Amino acid sequence: MSGRITRRQALLGAAGLAAAGAAAGPAEGMEHPAHPEAPPDAVGLLYDNTICTGCKACMPACSEANGLPADTSGSGGLWHMPTDLNSRTKNIIKVYEDPHGGGFAFVKRQCMHCLDPACVTGCPFEALVKGEKGAVTWKASLCIGCRYCEVACPFDVPKFEWDRWNPKIVKCELCYEQRLTKGLQPACTEVCPTGAVIFGKRSDLLATAKARVAASPGKYFEDRVYGEREAGGTQALYLSSVPFESIGLPALDSISIGHYATEVTSVLYKWLAGPIVLAGILGLRIKRNWDRHEAEEHEPEDGPGLPENL
Amino acid sequence: MTTHDTAGSTLINRWQRGVPVYREPLFTPAFLFFGAIAAVGLTISVVRFFSPLGPFSGMSDAYAWGVWKTFNVMTLTALGSGPLALGMAAWVFDRRKLHVVMRTALVSGFLSYATGLIALGFDVGRPWNFYSVMMPWRWNAHSAMLEVAVCMPLYCSVFLAFENVPLVIERFYHTGGERTRKLLRRVSPFLRRIFPIMITGSYVLPLMHQSSLGGLLLLAGAKIHPLWQSPALPFLYVIAACVAGSGFVTCLLLIACLRYSRRLDIDVLGELCSLLSWLCILFLAVRCVDLVWRGQLAAAFAFDKASLLFLLETALILVPAVALRRRSARETPRTVLNMSAVACAGAMLYRFIPTTIMFDPGPMKSYFPALPEVLMTLGYIALGAMGFIFALKYFAVLPAERSEWNCEFGGMRRGTGK
Repeated sequence: MSGRITRRQALLGAAGLAAAGAAAGPAEGMEHPAHPEAPPDAVGLLYDNTICTGCKACMPACSEANGLPADTSGSGGLWHMPTDLNSRTKNIIKVYEDPHGGGFAFVKRQCMHCLDPACVTGCPFEALVKGEKGAVTWKASLCIGCRYCEVACPFDVPKFEWDRWNPKIVKCELCYEQRLTKGLQPACTEVCPTGAVIFGKRSDLLATAKARVAASPGKYFEDRVYGEREAGGTQALYLSSVPFESIGLPALDSISIGHYATEVTSVLYKWLAGPIVLAGILGLRIKRNWDRHEAEEHEPEDGPGLPENL
Repeated sequence: MTTHDTAGSTLINRWQRGVPVYREPLFTPAFLFFGAIAAVGLTISVVRFFSPLGPFSGMSDAYAWGVWKTFNVMTLTALGSGPLALGMAAWVFDRRKLHVVMRTALVSGFLSYATGLIALGFDVGRPWNFYSVMMPWRWNAHSAMLEVAVCMPLYCSVFLAFENVPLVIERFYHTGGERTRKLLRRVSPFLRRIFPIMITGSYVLPLMHQSSLGGLLLLAGAKIHPLWQSPALPFLYVIAACVAGSGFVTCLLLIACLRYSRRLDIDVLGELCSLLSWLCILFLAVRCVDLVWRGQLAAAFAFDKASLLFLLETALILVPAVALRRRSARETPRTVLNMSAVACAGAMLYRFIPTTIMFDPGPMKSYFPALPEVLMTLGYIALGAMGFIFALKYFAVLPAERSEWNCEFGGMRRGTGK
């Protein structure tokens, strides 16, 4: 058999394989740089726990805006009292008490709206997307419930409705559908009586935060803004008087997790080049050995196989 | 009735021929035992389908993946990677002695994937949205989960199923009437024509999705202990799959041959052992380079929980790698059985540890599978075991000895066999 046919057949095999995935091949320009830039219209939250009084006004406001039922499991059925973010709680105020009697500090937890969210990178069918203004939102009709977002998120934000037959992924969406599209700010920032959490463009919030740090050096932990660089940067920014880790904000690399996870594969799978080249190489070798197999074809078909006494 | 075929061959692949286990009833106590476990597991699965996930599993928002994903899929499909490891060795690297054991690999591999996919079907929370897999414009090309979601069902239902087709054809050819035979004779040439293309696909696809299973863990970042969290995870996951796959086929083959008193050519066994030991050595070499490269050697010998797990896993792969280098060990079936089982355990441990044992989503969080979860997992495994026993008795799976086999291996005529 001539070499040309061999190669043609091998390529055919590769093409057959490629056909299925070809549509996914071209990456739509959405790469995962190590240090992503914030989109120009990115909005966000700035939370400062030296201002927060722990009044929790933001919690019922969030539940109301998002139509969430109260989580009364911790209060004997009396009032909304979640112990952490859960499938009925997209926003929570938690308290940290210094074990050595050095006072306490609050923290507000909700989705960080990462600049390059790990959940969005992992979501197989784009149920989670980073949309307009950088809000990370979830779409029920596309989600298969694989819960990879929960495994991927370094902040443990997405929650799954384990007690529902038709489970949803529950997470803060920055009130995108409910309020942002109507020109309103998120429910939590609107009701905050002290201005502990404020809403605005991410660039403005970052400038505000840095100005606060500059105005009172030593007041804030490490004199820096959490979320400026963590996991490639987030749109929720934090200022804290106590170490970030003690209020549950993990110490993270400044490199985007999506970048770490797709650094190699995005090259290998670009236009499916890696699999196609591999199929070509393997195909050539296999065809050569198959031709040898075919050359032995002339023997009669009477090996053991299945006997007649079956 | 003659089995001689004048109008054309129905044999797709003559290097791969086997003999079924005759004169053994299908319903043995072992088969019924597996049947009972499978029945329990499947019954619970049906109930689970009409109920929320919560009561059926020990999973939580912190440990969002339980044993269905981490064991049935991520660990057991490594055992089912025999078709990849042995097939590549046989067809790409031309180790022809391995063709005879391919059918053991193909049947067990198919069952491992199929049961893994069943487990996955009951694990996902919103399976009714899975049809998106056929709509490429909905795909997130950057997601390792997408790659797994597309590739695994495609591989199992098309490529691996195709490779198992010759078994079915042979069975129907020998038991069917004239019309069946005529039809099969007409279909077979077509199957032969696409055979090289299909087996190319059935090596490329698992190389892709077995590495993507490791790739899934990259996004978990710092939740996974640095001894396992590494950019080399996808590559090591593929090699571990090959180690587990070839080890499992060796082990399974010996158990089946012992159980049904079949003899096995010692040089075929030797070839399997040689492959297994080289794969173990490759795994250890890559693992070692990776740890040195990332400066994790100190953590490996810190003798804490992570380090001890690492040392156990490494020892389980190192022992067969060394032991099977000796020719006398390769020719002692007992040693081969033990060593291949040990290699399987090591590779499975490598695949399982980073998903669960050394997966740390934060303080005060823990995971242990709930009873229904365990019963379902065991049910799927039992289902696979039943499928394998059935296949052994109805199809020509187990290898034929060369003495009772008139098809020659090219270049192997000198060997006498037993």
